[in-house]
Amino acid sequence: MTAHRVGRVVSYVVMILIGVVAAAPFLYLLVLSFKSRIDILTVPPTLHFDWSQIKSNYGNVVHEQGYITYIENSAIVTGASTLIALALGVPAGYAFSRLHFRGSDTLASTILSFRFMPPVAVAIPIFLMIRYLGLVNGYLGLILPYVAFTLPLVVWIMIGFFDEIPHEIDEAAMVDGLTRPWVLLRVLLPLVRPGILVAATFGVIFIWNEFLVGLYIVNSQGHWTIPIAASSLLTVESPIDWNIAATVGILTVIPILVFSMLVQRYIVRGITAGAVR
Amino acid sequence: MAAISSSHRTRLAPPTQRRGETLLLLGPCALYLVVFSIFPLITSLVRSFQDYDPKGNTWTWIGTRNYAELFHAGQFWTVVENTVVLTAAGVAIQVVLGTALALFFSQQLRGATIVRGLLILPMLLTPIVVGLMWRALLNPEWGLLNWVAVKLGFGYIGWLSDPHVALWTLVLVDSWQWTPFVFVIVYARLQALPQDVFEAGSVDGASWFQRTTYLTLPLLAPAIVFAAVFRAIDAFRTFDLVWGLTNGGPVQATYTLSFQAFQNGFVFQRYGFASAISYVMVVTAAVGVTLLFRVVKVRRVEAPA
Repeated sequence: MTAHRVGRVVSYVVMILIGVVAAAPFLYLLVLSFKSRIDILTVPPTLHFDWSQIKSNYGNVVHEQGYITYIENSAIVTGASTLIALALGVPAGYAFSRLHFRGSDTLASTILSFRFMPPVAVAIPIFLMIRYLGLVNGYLGLILPYVAFTLPLVVWIMIGFFDEIPHEIDEAAMVDGLTRPWVLLRVLLPLVRPGILVAATFGVIFIWNEFLVGLYIVNSQGHWTIPIAASSLLTVESPIDWNIAATVGILTVIPILVFSMLVQRYIVRGITAGAVR
Repeated sequence: MAAISSSHRTRLAPPTQRRGETLLLLGPCALYLVVFSIFPLITSLVRSFQDYDPKGNTWTWIGTRNYAELFHAGQFWTVVENTVVLTAAGVAIQVVLGTALALFFSQQLRGATIVRGLLILPMLLTPIVVGLMWRALLNPEWGLLNWVAVKLGFGYIGWLSDPHVALWTLVLVDSWQWTPFVFVIVYARLQALPQDVFEAGSVDGASWFQRTTYLTLPLLAPAIVFAAVFRAIDAFRTFDLVWGLTNGGPVQATYTLSFQAFQNGFVFQRYGFASAISYVMVVTAAVGVTLLFRVVKVRRVEAPA
């Protein structure tokens, strides 16, 4: 009995350690973002915070470094790309789940395999294409490739969710005279709402974080998305202002963390989609 | 089964209408990917046999010279080695730790939901910011981790400055970010396993260790393999983390294939040479994806009831 109790205590200690390891780097960055340049040099950092210093760090980043603009750019690009990817990917997922025609499996695998394509492999042609179209330094120049990157993920997730809906529902609606596209629009869309939310969640996270292709396509500061803006701090040759860098880092991930908390239950479903069935 | 489903559908819609419907549902998506994924991918292949001149914005056909240069440069093989180490070591660590975490959380612990929630966080974070936060943690002058290392008696570690250590630092940070991914997948599989098998096992007097080795792990194997292959393909193309954490350094010790392709393309504007590097990656990734699709049945082909 006592051995059992010791085991329980050990388990709780281990669990707390796991939580600390997972959260510590983020909390450390948060603490640094509250400090002055001088105070960062104190190891380990004290937990003494000065409100005016916090205000000065965040004020500096938001007002002087133009972070409102970057967040706005990221939000527009992320929102538009996700919506377009859903509009194209949801019907495709439905078609793959229901319509079996010659080569449909090969086509589905091909689309899904693009999920794993190394972005560097297409970055140059896409950049040259966007430049040719005159869309460098604009929202559309980012939205067009981001939709392509998100689509395979959306199709993959949607096939799984459509597969879970009994075919009888479609057939009943078709007997009532609806064609497939109308069945999707009128009958099935409400039923696959969780799937759409899972797909949207992952689209948003992926696009918000995307960096490599963005770096190629955007070169004027006014059009930076937030990862590009954050990365610009790391490239300067002079020593980094770590309190400002930390503040930028926190502001970059806060929107994604808040968003993730709102859609928490869809995240685990999305990660396991395709794996556990 | 396919025969049943198609005869079933014929009754509901004539073939021409069916074709039209398929086209309407699938066409836009397929067309989009042809223009923005397949076309660029083919262009890349063609460019890998060409040389780009940034001054005149012109391309010259040079055959396999890019590939020849690549394969004969000692640097390329070092980069391949780095990429393989990062992928293999990272995935091995993540699979072991992720599975251990899943087994650990199979016991009932109060507050476990909160800790499992915290575990999801690292993989949602912007990779560039992950690089930033670890650069702070590993800072040689005031970083918290060196302070801890010194306190624990390991002494000062040149996490990002020692060429023999830097690649392993990448493995460490990649594992911090992605062990939770393996955990989530294996844990979900564990939760979905039928409980009666385990009850029978414990009635038969099997110890926890025996049950884990002979019952649980074999049952978890499909999920573990899936997570491992999935992670391997992703780790293989790691770019953002390298960019944010080491920027390839010190002295190119942490160049990965993605990073080398990026340097040649973006920085030096050697688009043809960069395309050759990235095509080596495309072929490797294609092999990995084929493997993955063998492991996981992406689609369940079944006839409607």
